[in-house]
Amino acid sequence: MLNYAIRRLLMAVPTLFLISLMIFSLLKLAPGDPLSQLPLTIPPEVREKMRAALGVDEPLIVQYLLWLKQFFVIEPLRGFDILFGTHLSDGMQRIISWQTRGPVFSMIAERLPQTLLVVGLAYIVGVLIAVPIGIVSAYKQYSVFDQIGTFLSMLGLAVPPFFSGVLAILIFAVYLDWLPTIYNTNLIVNSWSNFTEQFLQMAMPVMVLAVQTIASISRYLRSSMLDNLEQDYVRTARAKGMGENVVVFIHVLRNSMIPVVTVITLGLPSVFGGAIVTEQIFRVNGIGQLLITAIYANDVPTVQTLAFIFAVLIVVFNLIADLLYGVLDPRIRYD
Amino acid sequence: MLRMVSLLAGAGVASLVATPALAERGTDGVVNILSWQAPSIMNPYLSGGEKDTDAASLVLEPLASYDENGELFPRLAAEIPTVENGGVAKDLKSITWKLKPGLKWSDGTTVTAKDVVFTANYCMDPKGGCAALARFQGVDKVEALDDLTVKVTFKELTVVPYTLFVAMWSPIIQAKQFADCLGTKAPTCTEANFYPVGTGPFVVANFKPNDAVQLKANPNYRDPNKPAFAGVNFKGGGDALGAARAVLQTSEYDYAGMLQVAPDVLSKMEKGGKGKLLSVFGTNVETLFMNLTDPSASLPPEERSTDKHPHPILSDVRVRQALSMALDRARLSEIGYGSMGKPTCDFVPAPPIFAAGNTECLKQDIPGAVKLLDEAGWKPGPDGIREKDSKKLKLTFVTTTNATRNQFQAIIKQWWHEIGVDVELRSLDASVFFSSDPSSPDTYQKFYADVQMWTNYSDAPDPGEYVATYTCNKAPLPDKQWQGSNVPRYCDTNYDALVKELGKTAAIEKRAEIVKKLNTILSDSYAIMPLVWRSSVSATSKTLGGYVGSGDSRFWNAQDWYRRK
Amino acid sequence: MMSEPGVLTIKPQAGPDDVLLRIIDLTLHFPTYRGVLGRQVGGIRAVDGVNLEVRRGRTLGLVGESGCGKTTTGRVILRLYDPTGGRIEFDGEDITHIQGKKLRRMRARMQMIFQDPQACLNPRMTVGSIIAEPLNEHRALKGKEKEKRTRELLDAVGLNPKFANRYPHEFSGGQRQRIGIARALALNPDFIVCDEPIAALDVSIQAQVVNLLKDLQEQFSLTYLFISHDLSMVRHLCEDVAVMYLGKVMELGPRDLIYKDPMHPYTKALLSAVPVPDPRVERARQRIILKGDLPSPANPPSGCRFRTRCPVAFDRCAAEQPAWRKVAGNRWVACHRAE
Repeated sequence: MLNYAIRRLLMAVPTLFLISLMIFSLLKLAPGDPLSQLPLTIPPEVREKMRAALGVDEPLIVQYLLWLKQFFVIEPLRGFDILFGTHLSDGMQRIISWQTRGPVFSMIAERLPQTLLVVGLAYIVGVLIAVPIGIVSAYKQYSVFDQIGTFLSMLGLAVPPFFSGVLAILIFAVYLDWLPTIYNTNLIVNSWSNFTEQFLQMAMPVMVLAVQTIASISRYLRSSMLDNLEQDYVRTARAKGMGENVVVFIHVLRNSMIPVVTVITLGLPSVFGGAIVTEQIFRVNGIGQLLITAIYANDVPTVQTLAFIFAVLIVVFNLIADLLYGVLDPRIRYD
Repeated sequence: MLRMVSLLAGAGVASLVATPALAERGTDGVVNILSWQAPSIMNPYLSGGEKDTDAASLVLEPLASYDENGELFPRLAAEIPTVENGGVAKDLKSITWKLKPGLKWSDGTTVTAKDVVFTANYCMDPKGGCAALARFQGVDKVEALDDLTVKVTFKELTVVPYTLFVAMWSPIIQAKQFADCLGTKAPTCTEANFYPVGTGPFVVANFKPNDAVQLKANPNYRDPNKPAFAGVNFKGGGDALGAARAVLQTSEYDYAGMLQVAPDVLSKMEKGGKGKLLSVFGTNVETLFMNLTDPSASLPPEERSTDKHPHPILSDVRVRQALSMALDRARLSEIGYGSMGKPTCDFVPAPPIFAAGNTECLKQDIPGAVKLLDEAGWKPGPDGIREKDSKKLKLTFVTTTNATRNQFQAIIKQWWHEIGVDVELRSLDASVFFSSDPSSPDTYQKFYADVQMWTNYSDAPDPGEYVATYTCNKAPLPDKQWQGSNVPRYCDTNYDALVKELGKTAAIEKRAEIVKKLNTILSDSYAIMPLVWRSSVSATSKTLGGYVGSGDSRFWNAQDWYRRK
Repeated sequence: MMSEPGVLTIKPQAGPDDVLLRIIDLTLHFPTYRGVLGRQVGGIRAVDGVNLEVRRGRTLGLVGESGCGKTTTGRVILRLYDPTGGRIEFDGEDITHIQGKKLRRMRARMQMIFQDPQACLNPRMTVGSIIAEPLNEHRALKGKEKEKRTRELLDAVGLNPKFANRYPHEFSGGQRQRIGIARALALNPDFIVCDEPIAALDVSIQAQVVNLLKDLQEQFSLTYLFISHDLSMVRHLCEDVAVMYLGKVMELGPRDLIYKDPMHPYTKALLSAVPVPDPRVERARQRIILKGDLPSPANPPSGCRFRTRCPVAFDRCAAEQPAWRKVAGNRWVACHRAE
């Protein structure tokens, strides 16, 4: 399996290079200007100088090669320096955002915690709620519970977060006045009251995001359970005289989880990617918000770096999903 | 954009200024500011964007600022230099600033004239990409005469010398902190750009770009009793509607600005009684621009939309006037902006002394417009669209994608249709439309269309620079990379001559008279059609005291804010 | 390679009254729904009044076309489905409606071998744990003992006991079916429903498995219900044969009598399709070709089920359902013509 993983990773290298080139070309081909948000009172000659200072007008190949060097040489060196206290990257130009003139990786490092906390927690909560719903819905197919579950899942999949988020704000913040609408990223949890505050400010975004996870994962699990409940080995287990708990949890659930675990794993890159809409609504200002503001501002280095990191994460989690499949399903072997 | 309280809007503001607090420094807790566009950098020289310059104005200060009435007042300067007090040379070629004695940076070191000179060198470095460079143009040299005196010498006679070191775009930065940040090194100084040492009432404690900024009271601020707030919590993200809600409905925040939200929604929120709306009328005017040159795609690229080919339809002033007469500006203003806008005929609507106050365009006159078009030789065709020499009266109308603007487009199309003008509507993303990329065909400066609409404004109370944007030589041309502020390609020798005269006139009354004349000439040319004078809307909580929305920065008087008990 | 039927006669003959399983009028109707509101509009009569008797230590073959309800009957008997009517008596006890612990205890005595040896084994469990799982549940065997029993069972079905740690997909079809058999034997059952256990196997392996079943029957005194559509295999293995058509048993009797002198026209038609090893007889054999398709079990024909395809049907067949009559000794038939 190790050989397989290494082979897959090696095969991913040219793919990723191609992706980076494509992201870069697309960003460059798209119309837009990093200075278009500046006031019109800044005269054209000054704009020209500002563009030159950003390096916008350098030849494309120079910009691309510079980015490659920064991403694959300077930033890893910088990481090495931080870990081991060396000074290898001193004086080297890191990837700089056109919006903030600050290093892109510092911004990512700054924003990753809140994204992982909110989006990641929502994912975990969503999966934890989805699994029992999926099991019961499948086991009691067409029961009232299943019908309600189906209806709510459809609703969860159909209602976009920009609607459910605003609805939640109106109900829980405006009318009931229970929860804050603005996420304080500077809150440091070091006491019980801070913890409560953190819990309250996370409640709405986590809820809104979890609804979507619940809806999709419970549907997957339900159909996977239904497939397996019809299998002969389930009949075998019943014929053996095993109790229903054993039949459902040991036999059916374990087999049904194989495809669901894959789906869950493939969804993990989006946890790192953040949730663009939900982060905006609740001002969580994580990776998703970073990406969208960078796109609006035509901040090419930031967008390029983020998009490429997502590409790497997707490749890696696809591999992990495949390997997990091999671990979970003894019929699959990678040699 | 400069915010000045017009006489019309002043009433609401005055009551807020009434009671300054007699508190000690840092006794009123934290003030919470919500800006749906969060600051991305605290160095205004590297951004120029309003979201950044406003936030930076809490920390960095210029020598002088504009107050709510558009009047200059000294900040770091001891007084405003004038010809009368000898600060401005008689030949109008130099200005000498004197610093207040004993000024301290937030790190405790002394502010000297060297810092001011350094600031000029920092911005004037050609490789630095300084956003405020235009303010330093025409400067011959900046020198420190002694520790507290700075002399700026201009290359030419300069009637309004208050550009560099004045207002939030051009504050003084600390020489020590930025010493290694000149030229191409400017963007690499992340620490200095995020945590500038300043003289303002607050100091950056924690800066998260595009997310949140925490500031604390500057321990070395020159007034020992100010600011009353111990800190500022500056939060960004989300949208304008959510920002309004956080102040007016849930009162989680004290202030939210740039609330471009439907007027009826805002006034409904305000009725909850938890906060107040504040409309500040600056110089923003939503304006139609007519292309006086031919944008036809059949022309070669170096001649398209240039003065080589006059516009086949719009070069006739009667057509342009008819188009203007068909508009009902009051309706547009009411629909799009409610109480946050006013119909106007002036492209210089403020300050009052410079505003011409024309009103004749406000009345919609469809029959008059029809008559004018008939006279111009455009006769109704079989489909109701006018024709002349078998050419249809058809115009392409472009603006940015934005609910209010697209609504305006549809209404204007309707009116123009009534007088027999066919209109094709297009809308572009603002980042594309306002791009300065010369290779893009869709920029407002290239003007590959017949009519464009956007908001125009001046950033100084003196409109000298602003009226000069429509001189013949400012028309965007291909050999200037399409850069130029005279987007309609308007060219009138009388106008140019008056602008020149204005450049030599120092007396304010005289200047005002010339500006009014220029305004009327341009209005009567119908090359640009001012529609609505827009205000900038912000919301404040009931407990935020001392807030005055106008001035060069939205936070220009943050040192005077306090918590209402 | 096939052992003679005579081998079975060595077994102690069970008396005619020594019935292990008796099924009386067993029905199973699956409801069907239609419309937006899902109203019940009718039912699929998968099993519709089945009567059977299986005597201890013997094998009853249940034959019929696919879709006739054989497999469903087998599953209802094991209570894998809940019957909608009739009665199942096992070893003198009515098990038609028992539930919970009692049912689970009963299941230890009745097992099933499935048609598809791949699908009936949990792909995520090792062979050892598949076999051992019921031992935890019913026998409370621990560690070593359980392992020993697993090895014994694998040995009994002719598999290497070392295979216990492997997964089902690592075996061939025949080996998997042996695992299925070992699993069925784990609890020492009295009765096994063999649901077409050889249908999915290669012909070369079919005989091995059938012989294994026979050997095991002898060794563990098992009683089989052998469900099949393969009449030659049934003849080889079973002492009694029941013929099923569209949810009902048409004819039941000892093998030799049925094969020699079928009474029901459906039985005759089925048997006429079986090739005979003797070329002369084979050439003279006249096939009775049934016309038409099997009618829908949701809407079976009136009177006799078989009348729509019966070559000798007459008026009465449409009007009246033929009764389940005892003709002689152990022979039962449901046909107006057989009266």
